[in-house]
Amino acid sequence: MKAGDSYILRSVATLLFFVVNVFALYLLLRGHNLPGGGFIGGLGCALSFILLMLAFGVEAAERILRVDPVRIAVAGVSLALLSSLLPVFWSAPFLRQYNGKLTQVPLLGDVAVGTPLVFDVGVFLVVVGVTTKLIFVLARSVGGLTGLSLGERSRYAGPLETPIEHGEARPRTDGEAKP
Amino acid sequence: MLLLLAILIPFLFVPLLWIAGTKLGARVGWLAVCAPVASTALLVLTLLNAAPGERVVWEWDWIPSLGLNLVFLVDGLSLFFGLVVSGMGVLVVIYSAGYLDDHYAFHGRFYAYLALFMGAMLGTVFAGNLLLMFVFWELTGIASFLLIGFLHTDAESRSGARMALLVTGSTGLAMLAGIVILGLAAGTHDLKALLEQPMNADGREKLNLAFVLMAVGAFGKSAQFPFHFWLPNAMRAPTPVSAYLHSATMVKLGVFLVARIFPIFSEAGLWSPLLMAVSFGTMLLGALLALLSHDLKAVLAYSTVSQLGFLIGFYGMSPSSGAQSDLLHIINHVFYKGCLFMVVGIIDHSAGTRDLRHLGGLGARLPMLAVITAIAAAAMAGLPGTTGFISKEYMLKAKFDYWGDGDFAAWYPLVMVTLASVLKVAFSLRIVWGVFGGRARPEVLADLHRPGWNLLFAPALLAAACVVFGLFPGLLGQGLTHFWTPLLHAQVQPELYLWHGITREFLLSLAIVVAGTGLYAVLAGARVNALRIPRVLAFDRLFESGVEAFPLLAKRITAALRSDRPFDAPAIVLCTFLLVVGGFLASIGPASLLPTQVNWEEIDPLRAFCVGLIAIAVVLVVVLPRWTGQLIALSIVGFLVTFYYVLFRAPDLAMTQILVEAATLLLVLLLLARFPRAAEIGEANDTRVRSWRGALGILVAAGMGIVMTLVTVAALNPRSAAPAGDYYLKSTVPLAHGTNAVNTILVDFRGFDTLLEVTVLLIATLGAVGLLMRYRRSASEYAAGPMGPAGSGIELEDPTESKPDEKGPNESR
Repeated sequence: MKAGDSYILRSVATLLFFVVNVFALYLLLRGHNLPGGGFIGGLGCALSFILLMLAFGVEAAERILRVDPVRIAVAGVSLALLSSLLPVFWSAPFLRQYNGKLTQVPLLGDVAVGTPLVFDVGVFLVVVGVTTKLIFVLARSVGGLTGLSLGERSRYAGPLETPIEHGEARPRTDGEAKP
Repeated sequence: MLLLLAILIPFLFVPLLWIAGTKLGARVGWLAVCAPVASTALLVLTLLNAAPGERVVWEWDWIPSLGLNLVFLVDGLSLFFGLVVSGMGVLVVIYSAGYLDDHYAFHGRFYAYLALFMGAMLGTVFAGNLLLMFVFWELTGIASFLLIGFLHTDAESRSGARMALLVTGSTGLAMLAGIVILGLAAGTHDLKALLEQPMNADGREKLNLAFVLMAVGAFGKSAQFPFHFWLPNAMRAPTPVSAYLHSATMVKLGVFLVARIFPIFSEAGLWSPLLMAVSFGTMLLGALLALLSHDLKAVLAYSTVSQLGFLIGFYGMSPSSGAQSDLLHIINHVFYKGCLFMVVGIIDHSAGTRDLRHLGGLGARLPMLAVITAIAAAAMAGLPGTTGFISKEYMLKAKFDYWGDGDFAAWYPLVMVTLASVLKVAFSLRIVWGVFGGRARPEVLADLHRPGWNLLFAPALLAAACVVFGLFPGLLGQGLTHFWTPLLHAQVQPELYLWHGITREFLLSLAIVVAGTGLYAVLAGARVNALRIPRVLAFDRLFESGVEAFPLLAKRITAALRSDRPFDAPAIVLCTFLLVVGGFLASIGPASLLPTQVNWEEIDPLRAFCVGLIAIAVVLVVVLPRWTGQLIALSIVGFLVTFYYVLFRAPDLAMTQILVEAATLLLVLLLLARFPRAAEIGEANDTRVRSWRGALGILVAAGMGIVMTLVTVAALNPRSAAPAGDYYLKSTVPLAHGTNAVNTILVDFRGFDTLLEVTVLLIATLGAVGLLMRYRRSASEYAAGPMGPAGSGIELEDPTESKPDEKGPNESR
């Protein structure tokens, strides 16, 4: 996708990017007790990056994000898995969640904290990573770029993989199994 | 505690070695030695603390609700295998440090995999719960996959690794099924309980089925017929891996499993017939294939298959009162086969080839190696003075005893073992003579270099063990008494002697050696080099073509179902849905679903207004001519549904809906931009398409409308079961300490579902990215870069390469 050439769009997108992200984090943090949560927050955050992409082009948006979104998603799954596994180490069941309350925090008053938030952050990261990656790849492809940049290709594909339409060509396995 | 440390240390070394490897390069091997040394020391301490014949259980809670805890069972059998694993680990890592020189890359990764494997092996042999054992069992398969495929740039390496993973993994699943059935029959998966409590009559009926399934797992792991073909193909791994995994330890897991479940199943009717028929058959087949192979590693691999057949079959013919001197046969095989594999690695390293047809005459250049090889080969052939001889004497004695009082095919073991032993003598001679005797080829001598002491150390030690314990078998026998295991082993173990006098075993043994030498003398020279493995026995090719048939089948099905017109895809999906759900509704009678009376006064005017707006927007989707307009109408539907959620006071749903709506709208816009301009006009002008497709469309749409209405109405009817939602609403504060029930359901009550869902999301993304990346475009297209504004379409330069589904729009332009 080519960068839009509207100054207004770019300025508004830059401003909205921060507003949307603050809102997304707000949704994430209050999720346990008020409407919100990791999934909604993640979608909001992903949309903010898509907004940037529409205004500045895919490559700029990827630069701003700095890491491959799939890595963000993997980090999210790992975080969720880790937070569910941790209780196992002190003989509590898998996925046990703990909740507590901090009283008299300056500016905020009573704050409820708990491990569900860690799990929710994992979900948040997965949603951000997955949504942005898919849209970025599609957008690149629409813009006539390769779906993945050259550096990424080696991460996602083996040397044997061929385009799917290449008939019945089977992967090279060298039937000669006896040495 | 010592035991837990012994198992944990290799796992702790995995990340350490991986990271250290990037800094230290080949020298990381010397750091890696610490892990097996520490484990061995801890296991020896455990052994010294344990009384013989005792069964100690260590237990830590893991998933108590599933009856799955970290249970470790320490008895003679597990300690024996544990010490074999860690002791061989020490030797193999020392050997690897010499073998993996700077010609190789990724040393850290290699030793990390080795440590992972060692930890998994120790976990398997010490597991005190069958489910836990299965987890570690499969982990050894994964580590083996990584190690076989370590030289991943080599295509045969990759296919060998894949074959090993598929065979051991799928047979492992059969084993899991067997474990589950056994667990259902006995009511527990705990090994100690299973071993010591007699099974009730109800459970006995299922024993045979459970046993067959578990035996499949053992056969797969130990490369028994018909799974024997993966082991020779696994020889693509670096030689230390072959010596460690594929001769000394991992392939012995099948033997271990059979020994482990011996007390449970030895009374089962199928125990002897199945184990003996398969294993002794494999023994002969393996020995035959070993004689027909020319690659030194393939010879050793097939001879391993053969020997494993013997070890498993041995338990098959043991009386249920207990096995005798089984550990002797196992340790003997560990000694000589580990040694021979390491020797082959050295030959490969020094001479640059391991093809028996090209080797020869190395005896004068590598005298030390020749002596080591001769000793190990003598042990393999069972010549006096080595552990092989002792093992063979007791093995033949057992066979003669079985002939005397066995109840199933009494002659079978003796005949098979004798034939296999003759072949074994022949190929043992061939290895020694083929490598070290005769005349050397100049091209082999050209780049011959001597092995260093660190390469020779481990095989020399193993060969020394063969001789020392072969000459003084009493020492070995005394050592093995520490590993006496109740229920598995017979009460009285025979004492080991070197000389039994002129017995029938000795005479048969003599005859075997003579016959084997004669066989080799007949075949020697050119004739043996011309031998080939007949195509009928090349199971690996059959397996490979079977594996490759899968993508072919998938492609066929895809080709049959796929359509070039987007219209057809939803038609197929929706028609299937209509058939299944509509058929179900028709079978229960749609009239019964309709409400008996409708209370018109309860209808909220605002909601009714919203629904009316949604209906108008839906009509617009159908009526509007262009997709841009249709899309806008569709998103209006989505946002109105959001509003409808708000009216029902469901803010979470509304927020999710509005964000999903925005994201999917962008996604669809991006996708449509990919289409050529002609598609924007749509199929409206194409009269051929309008007629019957339009009719079908109306039919499907009407059918879907009716079915979905019925489903909705049915959902509104009063239900007999209490809805689950009430429980969650009530307990969200007391149990999950959160006031947002939607969120507490997601992260707490149904947290496991969410965890799996996000994992699926990630997997789906990776799949989608892979598919998108494999979308074909020509090189010139890539080179051309961005192709003008979105929606302008893409024209392929080479018309012969154009995809069929792109032809339509391009022609109509």
